[in-house]
Amino acid sequence: MATRMKLKLKTVFVLYFMVSLLGLVYALMQLGQRCDCSEHDLPKDRTISRLRGELHRLQEQMRKSDATKQPQKQPAKPTVFVITPTYARLVQKAELTRLSQTFLHVPQLHWIVVEDSPHKTPLVTDLLVKSGLTYTHLHMLTAKDRKLQEGDPSWLKPRGVEQRNEGLRWLREDRRAQPGGDNQQGVVYFADDDNTYSLQIFEEMRSTQRVSVWPVGLVGGMKYERPVVEGGKVVRFHTGWRPSRPFPMDMAGFAVSLKLVLANPEACFDGEAPMGFLESSFLQGLVTMDELEPKADNCSKVLVWHTRTEKPKMKREEALQAQGLGSDRAVEV
Amino acid sequence: MPKRRDILAIVLIVLPWTLLITVWHQSAIAPLLAIRKACHHLVKEIFIIPERLAVRHHRLSDDGVEGKREAGGQAQDSKEYCASDKDIVEVVRTEYVYTRPPPWSDVLPTIHIITPTYSRPVQKAELTRLANTFLHVPNLHWILVEDSQRRTPLVTRLLRETGLNYTHLNVETPRNYKLRGETRDPRIPRGTMQRNLALRWLRETFNANSSQAGIVYFADDDNTYSLELFEEMRSTRKVSVWPVAFVGGLRYESPKVNAAGKVYGWKTVFDPHRPFAIDMAGFAINLRLILFKPQAYFKLRGVKGGYQESSLLRELVTLNDLEPKAANCTKILVWHTRTEKPVLTTVFGLGPAEEGNS
Repeated sequence: MATRMKLKLKTVFVLYFMVSLLGLVYALMQLGQRCDCSEHDLPKDRTISRLRGELHRLQEQMRKSDATKQPQKQPAKPTVFVITPTYARLVQKAELTRLSQTFLHVPQLHWIVVEDSPHKTPLVTDLLVKSGLTYTHLHMLTAKDRKLQEGDPSWLKPRGVEQRNEGLRWLREDRRAQPGGDNQQGVVYFADDDNTYSLQIFEEMRSTQRVSVWPVGLVGGMKYERPVVEGGKVVRFHTGWRPSRPFPMDMAGFAVSLKLVLANPEACFDGEAPMGFLESSFLQGLVTMDELEPKADNCSKVLVWHTRTEKPKMKREEALQAQGLGSDRAVEV
Repeated sequence: MPKRRDILAIVLIVLPWTLLITVWHQSAIAPLLAIRKACHHLVKEIFIIPERLAVRHHRLSDDGVEGKREAGGQAQDSKEYCASDKDIVEVVRTEYVYTRPPPWSDVLPTIHIITPTYSRPVQKAELTRLANTFLHVPNLHWILVEDSQRRTPLVTRLLRETGLNYTHLNVETPRNYKLRGETRDPRIPRGTMQRNLALRWLRETFNANSSQAGIVYFADDDNTYSLELFEEMRSTRKVSVWPVAFVGGLRYESPKVNAAGKVYGWKTVFDPHRPFAIDMAGFAINLRLILFKPQAYFKLRGVKGGYQESSLLRELVTLNDLEPKAANCTKILVWHTRTEKPVLTTVFGLGPAEEGNS
């Protein structure tokens, strides 16, 4: 009697042991797999949502501190499209750097940089990417016979013509594809990479309906050139050189509304035009003097200057290079 | 013995269950910890950019040419990916705020920029674009010193309109009336008296014992500065140096840095044996050093060409103490550009502009 009972207990124990062992093995196998059960994602999700909440709270705090300094959301301003032709030379990176630093202050600005080059250069590509601006990077090579050679005076051949035309072409193509068609708000400005721009000029030009004009400093051999305004209209131009030109202004002295540019798809700069007639070749087909809109306080303030940068002296560098000891080319200047 | 057998039996029963429970527990905790760590990375990786420097931006779309960045005034656009499978978390913050200048931070050392300037036709243009650059730099204090008998209205108005934190000083370099015209005394290098006045102002204004951290930099009004330069110089402990482009007739001049990160010479062609063969734009000094050595000034007279910088630096620091910046002096962050003198003819007799307009 006792042995049978003992036997029964023994089997019970053995059975129990086997079951536990099997259960353990099963559990161990489960550890290797990913668990898809939702009850385990719950703590994960809870942590994530908690952290997300903290993140939004911090962003709210920052937004609040921003809002006290910044006015309420404005309706979308017309975009200023700035077309800048550029070409490779020693001071190119410096010029584009300080130009981008000015542009970075202007809201709703789209920088169209057109290189005089058969392909996009890494220098300009990197600069544009790091600039933080909204940009378009294009390139168009000037034909050899149209290009200024070393030692040519700067006034011998017009510069930047093909590049500005390429900028216009891209703009027309790009804007055509946008909704709103020809009714788009925007202003087109041609900004050379060595001029100096104050921040006010961009706000002045934003309200351009057709073509707006303003004074330009340090150009044409004078302290400034400007349109003369009487009764709110431009009657003539105060300029030192060939005032009989249809539009005796500098490239930096006018802006054209996007609507006008799109409405006149054939208007572009004529590289064959005589010296100083480049701006006129473009504006003639677009507007008459009577229709010009004077800005900058009826053209009495200078907000842009036609500065030019000296070519850096490289005598010692050239001497070193002749000896094969030139500066490290890997360092980008 | 039955007792022993019982004990054995109990152990055999309890053992698998304890094992099961412990292992199971551990497996539930571990992934939870991993997620926690990942989400901490999430919070750390948020680039909380202080308003101005929205230099980081991610391409949200992949068009070849266009880079996009949301303009100011729009709501913050943050995308979050917190995948449960991978520990990749990315928060893209694409907002730009057009407040100028950037708000003052209590943490960043102030950069005191000393700029001597003088009246000439391009002055307003130069100062305008310089101001446009400085408006991006947080904690900047511009000390503009005019070479004039009294502060001109042009500069006064310009400084006020920029909104920058500035100090406007003036001192006139004595003119050498013996020479034709109003040329200044050629024996005194240009800008020296103005820079010295600024140094004196700093010493009179700031207490050597105060904890205000500051860096002093001499910036001429026609050079070009990248924004990165100002962040590099902020960590100056004594005097930091870096390469400058377009000086000394070379593409760039630079300090020579050895493998240990110390400056041991100068990569220049023009007199590399000067104590400090470096351009004015190639170094920055910690304000504390300026205050601790109140006798250190630029030498006014008897300074050979190119030795001006040495005349100040040798009183402040030795070659060994120099801190090379700009990736151990391999990157160009400042260019010694010069602006052409505009041709202003009076042939046509058209009247000169009022001073405030040019």
